[in-house]
Amino acid sequence: MKPFDPRLLRAVPAARRPVAVLAATGIASGATTIATAFALSAVVVAVVEGTDLTSPLVWLLGLFVVRAVLAATTERVAAWAGVSVSSALRAALLRRWGTVDADARLEPGPAVSLATSGAAAVEPYAARFLPTLVTAAVVPVLAIATLVVVDWPSALVVALTLPLLPVFAALIGKATAESTERRWAALASLSGHFLDVVRGLPTLVTYGRAHRQATTVREVSDRHRRATMETLRIAFLSSAALELLATISVAIVAVTVGLRLSHGSMALGAGLVAILLAPEAYWPVRRVGAEYHAAADGAVALDAILAQLDPTPTPAAPQSPATPAPNAAFGGVAPESGRVGEVRVAGLTYAYAGSPAPVVRDLDLVAGPGLTVVTGPSGVGKSTLLDLLAGLRRASTGTVEAPPSHYVTQRPFLSTGSVRQALTIGHPATDDQLWEALRAVGVDGVVAALPGGLSADLGDDGFGLSAGQRQRLALARAWLAPETLLLLDEPTAHLDPEGAEHVAALVAELAERRVVVAVTHRDELLAHAEHHVVLAATNASPVEVVREATSPSAAPRTAGEEGDR
Amino acid sequence: MSAVPTRRVWWPSAGTVRGGLLGGIATASGMALTATSGWLIVRASQQPVILTLLTAIVAVRAFGMARPVFRYWERLTSHDAALEMLAERRTSAYEALVPLTPARLGRRRRSDVLTGVVDDLTDVVDAQVRVTVPVISTAVAGGIAIALTLVLSRPVGLVMLALGVAVCLISTLAAHLESRSLPELLAARAEVTRVSELMASQSGELRAVGGWATALGWLDEAHASLDRATRRISLGRAAAAALFLVVVGAAVAATAVIAQGLAVSTPVKALLVLTPVAVSEAITPLVDATRALARARGSAHRIDALLDLTPAVADEPRLAAAAEPGQAPDDTPGTRPGQTAYARCDVTTRALTASWTGEHTDLASTDLDVPAGSRIAVTGPNGSGKSTLLAVLARHLDPSGGTYRLGGTDVLGQPLEETRARIAVVDDETHVFATSLRNNLTLARPEADDADVERALRAAGLTTLLESLPDGLDTTLGSTGRGLSGGERARLGIARAHVSGRPVVLLDEPVAHLDPPTARAVVEDLTRLGSAPGTTGVAGTASAQTIIMVTHRDDGADLFDRVLEVRRPPSGTMSRTTADPVPHSGDRTHEADPPRR
Repeated sequence: MKPFDPRLLRAVPAARRPVAVLAATGIASGATTIATAFALSAVVVAVVEGTDLTSPLVWLLGLFVVRAVLAATTERVAAWAGVSVSSALRAALLRRWGTVDADARLEPGPAVSLATSGAAAVEPYAARFLPTLVTAAVVPVLAIATLVVVDWPSALVVALTLPLLPVFAALIGKATAESTERRWAALASLSGHFLDVVRGLPTLVTYGRAHRQATTVREVSDRHRRATMETLRIAFLSSAALELLATISVAIVAVTVGLRLSHGSMALGAGLVAILLAPEAYWPVRRVGAEYHAAADGAVALDAILAQLDPTPTPAAPQSPATPAPNAAFGGVAPESGRVGEVRVAGLTYAYAGSPAPVVRDLDLVAGPGLTVVTGPSGVGKSTLLDLLAGLRRASTGTVEAPPSHYVTQRPFLSTGSVRQALTIGHPATDDQLWEALRAVGVDGVVAALPGGLSADLGDDGFGLSAGQRQRLALARAWLAPETLLLLDEPTAHLDPEGAEHVAALVAELAERRVVVAVTHRDELLAHAEHHVVLAATNASPVEVVREATSPSAAPRTAGEEGDR
Repeated sequence: MSAVPTRRVWWPSAGTVRGGLLGGIATASGMALTATSGWLIVRASQQPVILTLLTAIVAVRAFGMARPVFRYWERLTSHDAALEMLAERRTSAYEALVPLTPARLGRRRRSDVLTGVVDDLTDVVDAQVRVTVPVISTAVAGGIAIALTLVLSRPVGLVMLALGVAVCLISTLAAHLESRSLPELLAARAEVTRVSELMASQSGELRAVGGWATALGWLDEAHASLDRATRRISLGRAAAAALFLVVVGAAVAATAVIAQGLAVSTPVKALLVLTPVAVSEAITPLVDATRALARARGSAHRIDALLDLTPAVADEPRLAAAAEPGQAPDDTPGTRPGQTAYARCDVTTRALTASWTGEHTDLASTDLDVPAGSRIAVTGPNGSGKSTLLAVLARHLDPSGGTYRLGGTDVLGQPLEETRARIAVVDDETHVFATSLRNNLTLARPEADDADVERALRAAGLTTLLESLPDGLDTTLGSTGRGLSGGERARLGIARAHVSGRPVVLLDEPVAHLDPPTARAVVEDLTRLGSAPGTTGVAGTASAQTIIMVTHRDDGADLFDRVLEVRRPPSGTMSRTTADPVPHSGDRTHEADPPRR
């Protein structure tokens, strides 16, 4: 783990200011701490010598107030920096995932955990570890520099002993590395056990094994305690050793100062400053060690997030080196000048990451205004083709020219918020327009019956709506979309024959005003199709493209048993 | 669980008291080190005979050594005590969770709820180390400092006492500020998690409908509230950190003024002036303690709220007549092959109703006749009660009315475990335990042999997985081993149900999180489980397992013998869902598949 990764500042500009402010408050705090040592020693000297206390006391109180302000600022800045850096990283990560190929993203599970708990783990790293790091970098240097001026022999002692701390820490670390690693591995599995058992509780209850596990939980918890204590003992021992080392070093300073004072070769004030300053040089270094472990999770997560943000893919990545088609940030591929609205695909080949065989191979396709229906056997890449047209995936080779699209996926996004929010997520619309769209798809009655109508909360995945109603809601949103290209993946799935016929007519109506490309395995749509494209299985190369007569009654030719569902 | 009283999360155990006392000695040593060093320096400046300094030098050395040694001892003691407490809390929380599982863990995302319990327990116990021990330590060291200064000079002692009182007041204020703002912070964090989870898992769907920019707006809003909440909650700590320094500064100044006029030796004057400075070091840990205290309180509150729930099923047989004396229900009774209950385990309900909260009906009156060995799909809009129906059938939730018979016996008259032992439940998030593939399956029936396990895996469509594993059934899965894809996990859950050999298998949206082609393939294999000859009889049973699957999608529903559509109970009134004959799509069978292609 690197203590600080400068890539953070390059990749996430929003993190620069918090880190800079942290550094500034750290330096200011260090300087005030050192000034306080002078004021304090002046106060002690005044008390001891019975001279006027006013001036040193005013200084001391003033410095304590400044330190108080700085301490409050540090707490505030650290909290703010923690949340800013972590939020900035999360936002950058999600923004990046919003532009890359569907295949270049992580699996949903790891992606979610990196964006949620991963980014959150960076917070303590930025809020606690970074300030400690700044202090450790600044305060010892300031303390030694001041000592050089006040009392150079003390400065020499500190300068010679201070490097022993990290050296000592490294030696301890090295000596115990092997056993520590072994213990950590054992510890990880032991500490994971309780989580594993608790998360699996529903399964254990189902199969009547839950009560039996209670004793295991107790046993493993006890083993976990012993293993943790083994690990902690080493950590605490090394931290105690460092503290002892620091104490001995300060004692050496104190002894030399004491000897010189008793010989009368040194002023009391200077001696006091020296012994008050010497510990200030050691503790920030010790604290880095203490916070190091607490920040380890955050540093690991930071590394993982920065790797995702790295614009150059790792050499091992299966991404094709071929320059992908220019891609708008979201919602489709920028249209080339010329035939606006037309979809033109030439020599399109696409392979999933990690898969040697392309799922779409050397495909040519032109889809003009009207309804183009794509059919083909399961797994032939029909949905992938729509992803490519929508710009969600980038061609390995070949070109895709398509205007910005509205794409109704197989499981359209409908969760969270009200019906109104679901329908206007892409573009704003008035309530009148919303009702018109709902009428067009035939769910106006259903929505009107919901408590709250357009304001009804849909909840996760559309609470209270059947699959068919959700499908129609998604089509209502498509109806409202201003994009001239409409991509539909199985728009009549989940519908009974009557409903499917209704939707098919609706799709045909939509196709009057725009380019509609629909993937389906059902008959209703084919009856309305102007173009029919059959994708053959990948082993037939190149992919066969059939353009049928522009006839609404074109006989459907489906190529496979089940649809690409 | 009354073992974790919400307001008393800091209440010490014997071990943490020991730790606190040891910490007090360590802290006091640190304070004494600073004070005696000051004495020593001033005394030395008076140029005495070196020998007269010797006692002080020994004292300084002793304090210097004592601090790290006692700190080490304190940390060992208090962490050991905390871990001991964690082990206890975990065990009792686990035992309290068992009867609440699964019905009281929420309808979805149960594993998230359970993860929350694990994290919350850690936070609660953390308070021992981060709150209790530092507070005791500071109190002990502060008490010693006040006592000694009172001996040396009453006015300075009183200043120290005042400093102690001020520190107490400031800590209380900070803890109050922290606790007050915590709910806002937690809510903001939850919203950030919700939005980022949505965006990370559904970026394709969001971009497809042009909603990505809107989602980014949500994220910015959530981050802005998190930023506000964080700033607000840091107020308490900032105030504590600042006020501590202000009162220490004031104490130093007051002591200096008093000490100058005291009739004590000059080195003692130096000692007195430096004592409040040393206190400053001792009270710094209290700033962090306020944060840990607020977190622990919030966590304890959540744990209490969950564990104090009453189980959704009563374990006592309701009908005394049906209760049979005999052997106590074993963990897995009824899995013995050849038992008659297997042959005919019809599922029959009459006017069955249920409610999760007791306030409104979640399942309207339902009549169900599922002959042993048949497969039915239960569909219906969300909120229609299909998952409630399944929960009642699984004996996770007591019905509020009606009858439920399994193999002709009224289950409400049967011990809970006995009924549950005849039913395998597969939910939408199959948990893969961090153990071997074999153990992951045999937990459903410990006496199953490798042949049973392999047969179940193949039947559930995991042949490819089994053959790809280098260590076969010994391959470690779960968090520490090989990861499984969503489809493989769903199939593993089905294979588990199959290994169990239980006559009834209930599935609650097992494919909800899978992409449609995978979902369909899983369901195809599932329905084949029961029908194809040769794949059944894992437990040596003669008839096939009865399969009842809840799904909110139509995928694969056509593969079932029958589809039952459950309708949402109208609020207040009770409607009647009659499942036999099937009310909705007609009695779909394989033979009479509707002409779809």
